[in-house]
Amino acid sequence: MEFQGDTVVAEDSRHGHFMRQALLMGEKALQSGETPVGCVLVHNDQIVGFGMNDTNRSMNGTRHAEFIAIAEMLQSYPRSALQSTDLYVTVEPCVMCASALKQYRIRSVYFGCANDRFGGTGGVLSLHSDDSIDPSYPVYGGLFEKEAIMLLRRFYIQENEKAPNPRPKKNRELNTKFEDGNEEVPETW
Amino acid sequence: MDVEKTIRGLKPLGGQVVPIRTVQETRPPEEFGDAFVAEVNVKSASKVIKALDAAFPKDPSLPLSHLRRFAKRELLPPPLRAEIENQSTPPAAPAQTIFVLISPPLPDLTTLTALLAPFAPDTAPAATNDPPATDETPGKSSQSDSSTPTIQLHPVTIPLCPPFNATQAETWTKTLWPVVFNPAAPRSTVAPPPQILKRAQESIEPRAGYYLSLARKVAEEAEQSGLGRGVGAVIVDPAIEAEITEAGYEAGYDTTEKWDEAVLAVAGDARYSRSEAGAPSQAQLHAGVAPNPASKTYNADVEGGPELHALMRAVDLIARWRREHDRLDDVSASTTTAGPSKPELEQSELSALESYFLYRHRPGTSTNISNSPHSPSSPLKRKHQDPNPESNLTIDPSTDPSQSELRHPPLPAPPPSTIVLADSSTPALRPAAPRIRTRSQGGYLCTDLDVYLSHEPCLCCSMGMLLSRFRSVIFPRRGRLESGGLSSEPVVGPVADEVVQAAEADISIIDGHDERGYYGLHWRKELNWRALGFEFVEDEDLEAKSEVGMPVFHA
Repeated sequence: MEFQGDTVVAEDSRHGHFMRQALLMGEKALQSGETPVGCVLVHNDQIVGFGMNDTNRSMNGTRHAEFIAIAEMLQSYPRSALQSTDLYVTVEPCVMCASALKQYRIRSVYFGCANDRFGGTGGVLSLHSDDSIDPSYPVYGGLFEKEAIMLLRRFYIQENEKAPNPRPKKNRELNTKFEDGNEEVPETW
Repeated sequence: MDVEKTIRGLKPLGGQVVPIRTVQETRPPEEFGDAFVAEVNVKSASKVIKALDAAFPKDPSLPLSHLRRFAKRELLPPPLRAEIENQSTPPAAPAQTIFVLISPPLPDLTTLTALLAPFAPDTAPAATNDPPATDETPGKSSQSDSSTPTIQLHPVTIPLCPPFNATQAETWTKTLWPVVFNPAAPRSTVAPPPQILKRAQESIEPRAGYYLSLARKVAEEAEQSGLGRGVGAVIVDPAIEAEITEAGYEAGYDTTEKWDEAVLAVAGDARYSRSEAGAPSQAQLHAGVAPNPASKTYNADVEGGPELHALMRAVDLIARWRREHDRLDDVSASTTTAGPSKPELEQSELSALESYFLYRHRPGTSTNISNSPHSPSSPLKRKHQDPNPESNLTIDPSTDPSQSELRHPPLPAPPPSTIVLADSSTPALRPAAPRIRTRSQGGYLCTDLDVYLSHEPCLCCSMGMLLSRFRSVIFPRRGRLESGGLSSEPVVGPVADEVVQAAEADISIIDGHDERGYYGLHWRKELNWRALGFEFVEDEDLEAKSEVGMPVFHA
C-alpha cells in the first residue's frame, strides 16, 4: 500500500504531476469551504475528470471528489474507459468511494495521506482487494502525503459555524510539524 | 399512474423487525485462556480474594469481570465437576467448601498453592484410604496426610471476553465456568446499546410493513420503466411518525392508515437512465422493453454507477429539495426580481411516485394533526429521546432549546410556484409545513431519518447511508444480496435456517455456513458514523423461499 519507489523521484515524475493537480483541486475545495479533498482521473496520460469534495454546497454527504470526477469523465467517455483509467486523490478513498471505484472497475488508485477514520483501501477496510463480484485494483499511498495532510489541517483549524456547538479555535496554531522533524512543508507549487 | 390510489391500495408486508447483527456479534471474539480452580473453605472466601488480589496483580487490559470468582460445587459446569470428582474425593462437608477461580495472568503454582494452603477445606476422612503413591500431578498433591488440609489446583478453560448475550453466557456457564451476562455493560463500539436498539425497533415495527411495501412498489416502478433494476428506497422521518401517533392517541383513532404522512422521499434504481459520452442510455437503447434486458445479467459496463442506486438517489432527492428551497428562501429574502438560479447539478427526471412524495406537502387543516399544539410530551421531545446513536446520549431533551424550536411554529408553505414538479392534479394546497426541513430550519443531510429498502444496499450505498447520518436502515431479509454491505450473507440456502434460529432466541453464532464478506457496515467500531440496522423477516419466509435465478448485482 505504501507508495512504490523513491518518493523524491516519484514526486517529480508523471505520478507527481497528476497528484499536484489533485492537490490543486483540494486547494480549491478549501477555498470553497469544503473538506479539502481533490482528485483527478487520468486516461491515456490525459486528465479526463477533475473532482473536489462537494458535500456542503450540494447538501449531500455522498458527493465526494471521486464521484464528481467520474461524472465529468462520463460526459465524454463510456463507463468502460474507467478500466484503463487511474485515480490520483489527495486522501485515501473512503469506504463508499473505494466500493464505487471497484464497481466502476478503476485500473489503479494513487493517494496522498491515509484515512484512518473512513478509509476503504487499507485505512479501515480493504475493499480494493476483498473478494467481490468486481475485480480488485492496486492502491499506492503516500504520494505528497504531507501536502495532503496540511490541506486537511488548514481546514480543521477553522471554526465550524454550522456545528451545533462550534468549538472556539482562535488560539490554535497551525501545526506544521511532522513526525520526521521537518518543520516546514515545502511549497508544492 | 394514479399515485394516490396506488398508495392506498398497498398492502403491508406481514412479518417482524429483527436487528442486524454487527460483525462482532456474528463472530464474537471467542478467545479462551487457561485458569485454575481450587476448592477452599467457604468461610474464608473473602480472605482468599484478598490474598489472591494482593499477591497477584491483574492485567488491566484483560477485564474478566464476566467470570464469577466463586462457584459452589453444585454450580460447577458438569464436565468440570466430573473431572474434579474423578480426581479427588469430595470433602467431608461439601457444603463448607467453595471453588475459587484463579484467572490469568497465572501465578507460579508453588506460590499459589502455598498462598491458598491456609484456606484449604478439611480433608475428607475417605481420602486417607487413597494409596499415597500418586504425587506426580499437581492436582493430586499429597492427599495422604489427612491431618494437613491441602489445596488442589484443577486446570480449567475460561472465556477471555464477555458474552454477547444470555445464550452465550449460558453455554459457557454449562461447559466452562460460570459466566455473567451484563446487558448494561458498555459495548457500544461492538453493538448498539440495547435500550437504543429496542426503542428504535419499537418505533419502526408498527409501520415497517407499509414502508417496505412502498419500497417494493417503487422498485416495481423502476423496473417497469426500464430505467433501472427493481430496487426501491423510502425515506421516513420517525419524528413525524411519532407526531401522528401522538395525535391519534389524543383524538382516539388508529393512525396506522396515515403511515404515508411520514414519508419524505422515495427513489427507484435508475442505473440504465444515464447517457455516457453522448451515447444513448441503456434505457433508450431498449425503449419500451421492461424489465431492461441489461438486468438479466451482471455486466459492469452497463450497470451505470452506485450514485444511480435507489438509496443514493433518495439521499440526493432530499438534498435536491433543500437546494431548491434554500435557493427560493434566498430569493424571497432578498426580494430580487431575478429568477431562481439555474440548478448546476444534473437533475434527473422523477418518476410519478418520486415526484409525488418529494413535492407534496403535509395536509394543512384537513386533519387535526398539524393543528394540535405541541404539548411538552409532543413528538419533538420524543424525537430527541431517540437520538442518533452517535450523538451524546446524555442530552436532556427538555434543556436543549436549540433543537426544540426546529419544528415549530409550522412554516408557511412556499409560494405555489415552488411546487413546479408536483402532480398537476393536486388541488391548491392549504398552508402546511413541508415535511423536509430546510437547512435554515436545521435540516442537515438525513440526520435522524430512517431508510427502508427493497434490497440490502451495496457496500457503496451502505457507507453513503452512514455518511448521510441516517438513524436506521431496514430491508426485507429476502432482499439480502451477496454484494451487500450490511448482513451480506448468501441469499440462497441458509436464509430459511436462519429464520428458524432467529425465531427461537437471540442467537450470536452462525455456524455451518459460509461467512464470506460479512461487513455489518451499519455498526462498525472502526467507523466514525453508525446507524441501526434491521431486517424484516416476512411471515412467508418461514417457508423456505428465495429469488432463484436472480443475478448477483449491487443494489
